[in-house]
Amino acid sequence: MAKNVSELPLTSKLSRRSVLKGAAGAAAVGSLGGAFPMPALAEETTWTLANSLRSVANPYHATFAKGGEDFAKSIGARYEVLVTEGNSEKGIADIKALLQRTGGKLILNVDPNDSPDARVIVEEVQKAGGFVVTQWNKPDDLHPWDHNPNYVAHMSFDGVPTAEAIANELFKAFGGEGGIVALGGILSNVPAIERKLGLDNAIAKTNGKVTLLDFQPADWNEQKAFEITQAWITRFGDQIKGVFAANDGMGMGALEALRQNGLAGKVPVVGIDGIDAALAAIEAGEFAGTVAWDPLWTGGMGLAIPYAHVTGKIDITKEPKEHREFYGTGIIVTKDTVADYKANPPKVDFNDLWGKATGQIQYRS
Amino acid sequence: MAAIAVERGQMLGHWRRWAPVAVLLGLCLVVGLINPSFFSFGNAVRMLNTAAIPLVVCMGATFVILMGSIDLSVEGTIALCAVAASMLVTNDLTGVTIGLWSVPAAILLGGALGLLNGLVHVKLRIPSFMATLGIGFAGIGIATAILGGVMVRIADTDFRNWLSLGRLFGIPAAVWIAGIAVLAAWVIQERTRIGRWIYAIGTDEQTARNSGIPVERTRILIFGVAGLFYGLAGALSAAQIGRGHALIAQDRLFTAITAVVVGGTALSGGVGSVLNSVIGVFIVIVLANGMVLMGIEPYVQKGVQGILIIAAVALALDRSRLDVVK
Amino acid sequence: MSVPVLEIRGVSKSFPGVKALDDVSFAIARGEVVGLIGENGAGKSTLLKILNGVYQPDSGEILVDGRSVSVASPRQAFDSGIAMVFQEQSILPTLTVAENIFLGREEEFIRFGLISRSRMHAAAAEELRKVHLDIDPGMRCADLAFAARQMVEIAKALSLNSRIKGHVTILLDEPTSVLEQKEVDLLFRIIRDLRDRASFVFISHRLEEVLDISDRVYVMRDGKVVKELSARSASVKDLHQLMVGRQLHHEYYREARQVPPSPAVVLAAEGLSRHGAFHDVSFDLHEGEVLGIAGVVGSGREDLARCLAGHRRPDSGTLHIAGAAVRFAAPHEAAGAGVGLVPAERKVEGLVAPFSVAENMTLAALPRFVSHGAIRFAAELGVARDWIERLKIKTPSPDTMVGSLSGGNQQKVVLAKWRIAGVRVLILDHPTRGIDVGAKEDVYDLIRDMTAEGLAVILLGDTLEEVIGLSSRILVMRDGAITARLDAPPGGKPRQVDILRHMV
Repeated sequence: MAKNVSELPLTSKLSRRSVLKGAAGAAAVGSLGGAFPMPALAEETTWTLANSLRSVANPYHATFAKGGEDFAKSIGARYEVLVTEGNSEKGIADIKALLQRTGGKLILNVDPNDSPDARVIVEEVQKAGGFVVTQWNKPDDLHPWDHNPNYVAHMSFDGVPTAEAIANELFKAFGGEGGIVALGGILSNVPAIERKLGLDNAIAKTNGKVTLLDFQPADWNEQKAFEITQAWITRFGDQIKGVFAANDGMGMGALEALRQNGLAGKVPVVGIDGIDAALAAIEAGEFAGTVAWDPLWTGGMGLAIPYAHVTGKIDITKEPKEHREFYGTGIIVTKDTVADYKANPPKVDFNDLWGKATGQIQYRS
Repeated sequence: MAAIAVERGQMLGHWRRWAPVAVLLGLCLVVGLINPSFFSFGNAVRMLNTAAIPLVVCMGATFVILMGSIDLSVEGTIALCAVAASMLVTNDLTGVTIGLWSVPAAILLGGALGLLNGLVHVKLRIPSFMATLGIGFAGIGIATAILGGVMVRIADTDFRNWLSLGRLFGIPAAVWIAGIAVLAAWVIQERTRIGRWIYAIGTDEQTARNSGIPVERTRILIFGVAGLFYGLAGALSAAQIGRGHALIAQDRLFTAITAVVVGGTALSGGVGSVLNSVIGVFIVIVLANGMVLMGIEPYVQKGVQGILIIAAVALALDRSRLDVVK
Repeated sequence: MSVPVLEIRGVSKSFPGVKALDDVSFAIARGEVVGLIGENGAGKSTLLKILNGVYQPDSGEILVDGRSVSVASPRQAFDSGIAMVFQEQSILPTLTVAENIFLGREEEFIRFGLISRSRMHAAAAEELRKVHLDIDPGMRCADLAFAARQMVEIAKALSLNSRIKGHVTILLDEPTSVLEQKEVDLLFRIIRDLRDRASFVFISHRLEEVLDISDRVYVMRDGKVVKELSARSASVKDLHQLMVGRQLHHEYYREARQVPPSPAVVLAAEGLSRHGAFHDVSFDLHEGEVLGIAGVVGSGREDLARCLAGHRRPDSGTLHIAGAAVRFAAPHEAAGAGVGLVPAERKVEGLVAPFSVAENMTLAALPRFVSHGAIRFAAELGVARDWIERLKIKTPSPDTMVGSLSGGNQQKVVLAKWRIAGVRVLILDHPTRGIDVGAKEDVYDLIRDMTAEGLAVILLGDTLEEVIGLSSRILVMRDGAITARLDAPPGGKPRQVDILRHMV
């Protein structure tokens, strides 16, 4: 959500900008800004920071937006949130409008609605002279180092080891032997494919002790997960020793289906994302675990790294590739660690730019 | 005196009215033959439980569609009512607790949103799909704004037991409530003036007007009645998953319209019934349940679903008398 | 005459661009049947709709029993003792007979908010008895034959009689246009039976009927009442003349212009059958011929016409056009082979109402007006102007929406469409249904023009008289089979009884 401007210590400069706008129009401001750089004193705060994401109606992105806000506050900069509502055109149009409005002095941390959008966004930002970090989705052949210096970095999480790790937590919860059922995301979605791959790896490593009774895509939808799990209970009955869900939302749907049949707490469920409801379910012994992505960190760090570049703290073009395309760290939360995780939520240190990065992104296909 | 020829040859027409039932029975038979556990009591209960919320939603949607309009606000209305209900029972976000009174509160909120749909549609003369789409977005927007992206967790066991988890004669509470909703809808349809007027307006609005029916008022009222059902569905949704959030009703709209149409209610209005929609809901539910029970490849499921839905509509609609299909 | 039960004084009503009623005064006495005639567009329907509260007059007043009243809605009209049978059927097929009869007036059957179906059905059965219709009030009207629906509609209007104390007025806007003769007889008997309690206003294009049932007749022309006369002293010919304001042609059906058919066969059907509709139908159609097909509703002639035009597919049999065997899967294939259908329901099937006159005219021949993928609007307009001229179509311009034209002019647009498409065989299904006398004569002229140019016409006439008058040969159908083939040369026309014998 766009913060009210008056809350930020920018009032005087903003009003000067608006005078300029009134005189020459927004487009003219852009060209002026390019031709006559503002004095150094203005440099720190004339940059606008923005996070672009799908919708603040989902907990992951709401926290992601909050991370960006935290960083913006820490440096006293103006901060905006753009939402795509799942619409690529809207997402790109909003970014263009903001580039126009800020005269290109924009630091953007974007979770593109769809992979191809990333290229358009990067090109637009580069043309306007802004800086951008992308999250999760981008074409495999689009790399930050090919768009120096404006395309600062791409951050993602490796779904394969994450899913493998959380699947192992599930197996542990029911004794390591028996059948499981698995709920996947939208079939064509990259994280969905990676998480399925991780699950398959984990099952393969049990040497037949754990079998996959059935896999169904529930399209990240809680309700659909509920319905599919109901049908599984009919089909497999007590053969089901555990439920793997590729995200927490579907895991919650599965859990409620189990509850309707008196199985909540008896058949363990795992999910991925680390939403509050999943943490509560872990505490109640109904979930065997989840993976917390730390969206506060991705939301904030996607702005902190480019900001460090524009303020001269680092020169991004001189950073190694594992600082330009890197995985973040997922935190496995289980019954043993949930209390600690909730008591001490991961801290974000905006000065430790790559402290939580875990290696350069690998391309599998 | 046998004055004039009164009836027209209609054997096929009468048969068609039963086509959705035939489709449902055929579907049950196929699934049951491949996986006999389909016919177990446990599975019947689980399917009824899955059908409960779609049934309640479809009761409202059917009225609107019978009238020749469409209501796309389903998801927004349900979401807002679900969020409201979960914030009015014991929860982890607000201190307000009115227990089961949250149910009538959610129903009335739904009714109010429905009336708003009707007023915008009728008074501002905006096509119903636009008016309701707007109100639906607003509903999701308000729910999002209230929650700011978080979820409300319900800690009120009474609320969850009375609306979802509790059982009477082995049947979950949600199913009983859905049954009552269907009964209420059927009485409204068959035994009230409004019910008759829905058909009259859906068939021919001008004739309805000529017959002295207050068409505008009736339209607004029907959207309100539909909203009452969505409100109830909202409360049931919150109770079912024990949480309220803005995306709680995702995909409900599509399921509802599919069920109504598959049940044999025409989108053009005037033809169909809430009982048709009951059959339609079960066709959709049995289909989804059956796909999993029969172990059909996920990649194939959507195609099979699409083909069967088209087949069901083809059987139910008397297209022979339609020279023009829109 | 004592105080009229219903009277209007100096009523005017304008619609954008049209003065529909101009200072009309009109009165109905107790127990009287008043005929109201005039060409389409003369203002009859507008007048009735004002009496029924559908339209509000711009000026003038309505009096019931001598008291000025305001009739703001059909409901108010009903409460003042005025009910109407609409020209466009207003029976809703999705409701039951009883629900239709009491639509909008259910409150008398409501107890505790719910409708008592048994009481409603009992009351409906009572109303149905009055029109001698022996059907279950719980039956859906979709399952009723067309004529039976009309009787339900009449029962609905007559139900006023038992709902309202005192005298009532029932407005009948062309109630007979879809009824067969014995149903018309029944309706008239009912009207006469009810005269001690009800007055009637009766509109019909069948002037014989108007004279038969009415006491007095008002003749309207161009929104004005031009004549009021006693039915006993008037003749059909007088009425015709008053309506059109000119002397009728000596020969109504233009028999003198009937050309002897050429020996060239343009369409030949052999052993055509369609299950449940008609069987083993064979005939030849010659150039320049009008082939009439006579038969009652259900004789199979409508289905036959639709098969010939590709709207339906026959199950067996062969069809030759100009010697070549054809098999139509769709209307456009028939059109391509030179066969066009002018359907009875022109609003539904013959015209695209929101399109302009010109667009409708070129619809069936559009490829001719397209070059490099674009429509040549100038060429389209030119052709349209030409045909508007030739067919004397009354339209402000070729760009006028066709839906706003009168019925007769719409029919001419449909005819022009097929002429432009260059058809060789034109099937006319009730081409003069619901259009007025003047326009009818124009259509008859057009038919003669077409045959003179060598077109062949298959005619399903509105009345038997029309079929006899226009056709060169007549096929009679009964129960899906041809029962007679009669020649009808000018001066040697068969009599109606000769044909009726084979029809029923």
